[in-house]
Formats: sequence, C-alpha cells, structure tokens
Amino acid sequence: MSVTNRRHRFRPYALSLALLCAAFYTTGRAEEQTTGQSADQQAQRLLASRCSVCHSTDLVQQQRLPRDRWEATVSKMVHWGAQLDKEEEALLTAYLANYFHPEAGPVVEWPTIPLSGEEPGSALKQAGIATRGATIYQQNCLPCHGEAGKGGMGPKLSRNPILTQADRFRETVVKGRGAMPPWGSVLQAQEIADLHAWLSTLPE
Amino acid sequence: MTDRNGLLISRRSLLAHAVGGLAFALTANRLRAATAPLETEPGAHEANSLLTRVARPLDAETPPQAFTAWLTPNDRFFVRSHFGPPAPELVAPAAWRLHLAGLVERPLSLSLDDLRRFDEVTITAVLQCSGNGRAFYRPKTPGVQWERGAVGNAQWTGVRLRDVLDRAGVRPPARHLQMGGADRPAVSDTPLFLRSIPIEKALHPDTILAYRMNGEPLPLLHGAPVRLIAPGWMADSCVKWLTDLTLQAEEAQGYYMQTAYRYPSRPVGPGDAIAQQDLKPVEAMVVNSLIAHPQQGATLSRGHVMIQGLAWTGEGRIVTVEVSTDEGRTWEAAKLVGDDVPYAWRQWQFLWRTGGPGSRTILSRATDDRGQVQPMASPWNPGGFLWNGVDQVQVQVREA
Repeated sequence: MSVTNRRHRFRPYALSLALLCAAFYTTGRAEEQTTGQSADQQAQRLLASRCSVCHSTDLVQQQRLPRDRWEATVSKMVHWGAQLDKEEEALLTAYLANYFHPEAGPVVEWPTIPLSGEEPGSALKQAGIATRGATIYQQNCLPCHGEAGKGGMGPKLSRNPILTQADRFRETVVKGRGAMPPWGSVLQAQEIADLHAWLSTLPE
Repeated sequence: MTDRNGLLISRRSLLAHAVGGLAFALTANRLRAATAPLETEPGAHEANSLLTRVARPLDAETPPQAFTAWLTPNDRFFVRSHFGPPAPELVAPAAWRLHLAGLVERPLSLSLDDLRRFDEVTITAVLQCSGNGRAFYRPKTPGVQWERGAVGNAQWTGVRLRDVLDRAGVRPPARHLQMGGADRPAVSDTPLFLRSIPIEKALHPDTILAYRMNGEPLPLLHGAPVRLIAPGWMADSCVKWLTDLTLQAEEAQGYYMQTAYRYPSRPVGPGDAIAQQDLKPVEAMVVNSLIAHPQQGATLSRGHVMIQGLAWTGEGRIVTVEVSTDEGRTWEAAKLVGDDVPYAWRQWQFLWRTGGPGSRTILSRATDDRGQVQPMASPWNPGGFLWNGVDQVQVQVREA
C-alpha cells in the first residue's frame, strides 16, 4: 500500500475520530479503548508520552525497519525503562512496523492527533480532580519530575510557583518548555486540570 | 558503462543521496549552536547552523559547506549525545573531579588545575561518529540516520593520558581502561554509557585528555570540561564529560561496550545470526573521503571547476585521492594540498573540465598507506557502522 493511499485513507478518519474523542472523552486508559480512539492514535500517544521521556520522536520517524527489528527495539526500550505494558508494547510495535518499514519512502506521512489541550474552550473551566491527577502524573510526568513532584531530571513541581498560575501551567504542559517536550497531543484539558489539582495538594 | 557492478551501486547510492537530500530539506530542523557568534551578515545564521537529526538528546551533523575549511569550527562541529549533557553544576570546573581507580597503585582524584599541571600537548585529529554515513546502507540499519557530516577535524589541547596513568601507577593485570562520564539517562534502567579502550591505546603518547577544542575551552556539548581523544579511532572511544577512569583486566561490561559499537569480523548479510565472539569493538577509522565543493545539487557553468575535498583514515596516512566524473569508469589522481598531519584529514583538489551541459556525478576515492581503498559501498553490518563508500555529489552543468 502506498503512503499516499494511507494518507488519504486515514486523515479524514483520524479527524472524525478526534472529534468523537473530544466529545466522549472521559479519562484514563481503560476509557481510551472504548471511546473509539484508533490504534494509530493510541500508538501516537504512547510515542509522545512514553518514548519521548528519553528522546524526541524524530529519532523514531527516521527509522525504516522490518517488523522483527521494531519488535527487538521496542522490547529493548521496555527493558531500559520505557513504561509500556504488554498490550501497549504490541500496539506500538504494530504502528511502527506499519509506517516506518523498509519500503516506506524518505518522507512518511502519518495521521496526527490534534493538540487536544489547545481545543477552544479547553481552559481550566472544569475543576481538576486531584485523585485522577495522581495517576496521570505516575504515567506521564514521574520519570522526569520525580516521586511526589520532588524533582529529578526535570524541575521540582511541589510548591512550584507555576502552580499559582493555572494558565501558564497549562500552556507549559501543552507546548513544552526547554528540554520538556510538548504534551498537547497526549494530555486532554481535563487531564491537565487534574494534574494541576493533584500537584497543588503536594507539600514542600 | 563497462563496470556494471560499479555503476549499479553508484546509482543506488546516488539515489540515497538524492532522497536523503529531499528528506533533509523537508524535515531537518536547524540548530543555532550555543557557541555561535552573533550574526554579522545575511545568511550567517544558516552558515552557523548544524543539521539536527535528533532534537533531544541532540544529534546534529555539520552541513557539507563547512568542510571547505581544514579545521571545523566548534559551533559547526557535529554533536552526538547518548543522554545529553550533564547538569552544568556537575561539570563546573570548580566541582569537577577526575577519579582514577581499579588496578592502580595509587587511586587519584584530580581537579582541573591538577590536570593542567601535566605537560600540555595539542593534537589535530579527525573525530568521527562510528555511524557517519549510516543512512546510505541498504537495507537500512537502526540508529541515527547520519549522512556525510558526523565528522570533523579540530585541534585538541590537553594532557597525555599516559602521564596521568603513570602518576596513578598501572598494575600489570590491567588490560583495559574503562571510561565513564557525568551524563546520565532520563530513566535509571537505561544502561550508562560505559566504554573501554585496550591499555595499549590508553598508554599511546598521542591519546590525550582534552580540555580545549580549537583553542577554546571544551564546549559543554563536546564534553566539558574534559573528554578523551583517541586519535585515529572512532568517536565512541572518545568519552565526553569524563569523570571516572578505571583500570581493569576486562573490557567494560554493559550494553554500550558489549552490544553496541561492535562490528562483525567476517562478512554477514541482513538477518544472519552472528556469534558474540565474531563481533569486535569498533576501533580505528577506515579510509574515507568527502567532496566539499561543489555541493550536492549545485548548478555549474560549463568550463573549469575546482573540485575540493578532504580525505582521512585511522592510524595511517592518505597516499592518493582519485576523482571520477564518469560514474566510476575512469579515475584520475587529485592533488593533495595543505599539510600532511598525522590523524588530521588531508585536503585535496581536482581541476575538472566539465564538458557539455547535463547532469554529472562526481566521485572521490581515497587510498591510505596500508593499502585500504574506499569501496563503492561498504560491507553491510547490522549496526550500520564504518560507512566509507566512495563519496559522491551530483551537479548540473549548464552553458556558460
């Protein structure tokens, strides 16, 4: 199948799915499976949230590898600390082998997820729910910002002044800052609000 | 067209170059290095840029137009990162220490000032990523898809590693020197970048602990405050942000020495199983050359064109560089120019009469004093290391 065909087939599909997701999204990974996110979209979220903890995804996009090499690579990354469960590992491997294979051209186009955190009306109108924020933090932020937001490779977040400016906090998460990658294609507005709520409960 | 095999490979690699150039134009981000001087004229920004392959941790290559200079400027010197630079406070000169331990009489902890008290030496040497040219292997191999610019030539100033090891007193069972840097992975399960070199290379008088690069303090991206320079060897032995030297009987353990940066000692094909004992560490560079002018895709007026380039090898010397402008059917000797300095690259020139208008391919092929000659395409290997296929650029000749 040619890249062009893929693009034409997937793009409108991805867009309508994204709209569906925006409409029905609640939170958490279990729900992702049932809100109709395509496997591609789920894989992209994994790339942005789990792989980019250590490296930008341009490294992934320049590879052209057969399935067995992708299996070996993703498995190596899990061994090295990439936070993927078995199901996620299989999903991601399938996506990579499907798009970034030896016969793919020099420029591969793939359906992209809109920056959901930037959708109109996504400002923190909803109250964040701290208990959900804790889980989101574990899955996305902990490798760099440390246990309980105490800092690590990334800055300490507990009692960080940015927590007093919710809009700036949201913008930093969505767009990234310095070494921090953008999370706008990974975290929904509600999830960012939940994160903010949880981080705000942390002691010094 | 008589050399069918050569022509076939030539066309295939040409396609790789052309295709790579397209990908470049469409996807490459351009990085202004932190050390770049202020722009003084239009276009200076472009000229001071590196071509980013991976944004984080940074892997970026030198744009080909920078290779008309013998010394590659620091702000245009390729950057390869496994984890990215350590936090600046960890390598601040006041806090930094170099620890020597393992099979030594006297473990040492040296400050930068301590290190500077040894005799200072300066060596001009090529530094090249083992994966330079990986993008040209078919089938593709995993890793950063470097094209032609993961190489540079710089003046490295520092002290002889041998002098420092003598101070510590190497004990006889020591056969390898393990090197560790201050850089750390984002996730603790990721193996550290631990490398080792055999004791003979460590004690070689030209192997240095470098703290200056082209006369400037070693930049952070290049390993500040101190990195190893093992002249003639690939850069995977030239550990940056050095903090720990350990003398030991065996090679460094772990992924980056035992799995990565290894090369099969016999020919292999894609998918072949290779026994661990048949994989040897990547060490010395192989003979190589690069066409610096004209550039890939250039349009030239019919007439005389001075082709310029560079040639280098591992621990030997370049003896000839040949140029072909008929897709490898015939080769003519280029003129070696500039200084012949051990470990540095050699500049060369070739005056070419273009002939009539049309598309032309320029090939360059170097030979060293050990009889190594660049092949049309390097033997495939699973890591995509040591590419040294003849260099080539395609140009358009038009009526003057």
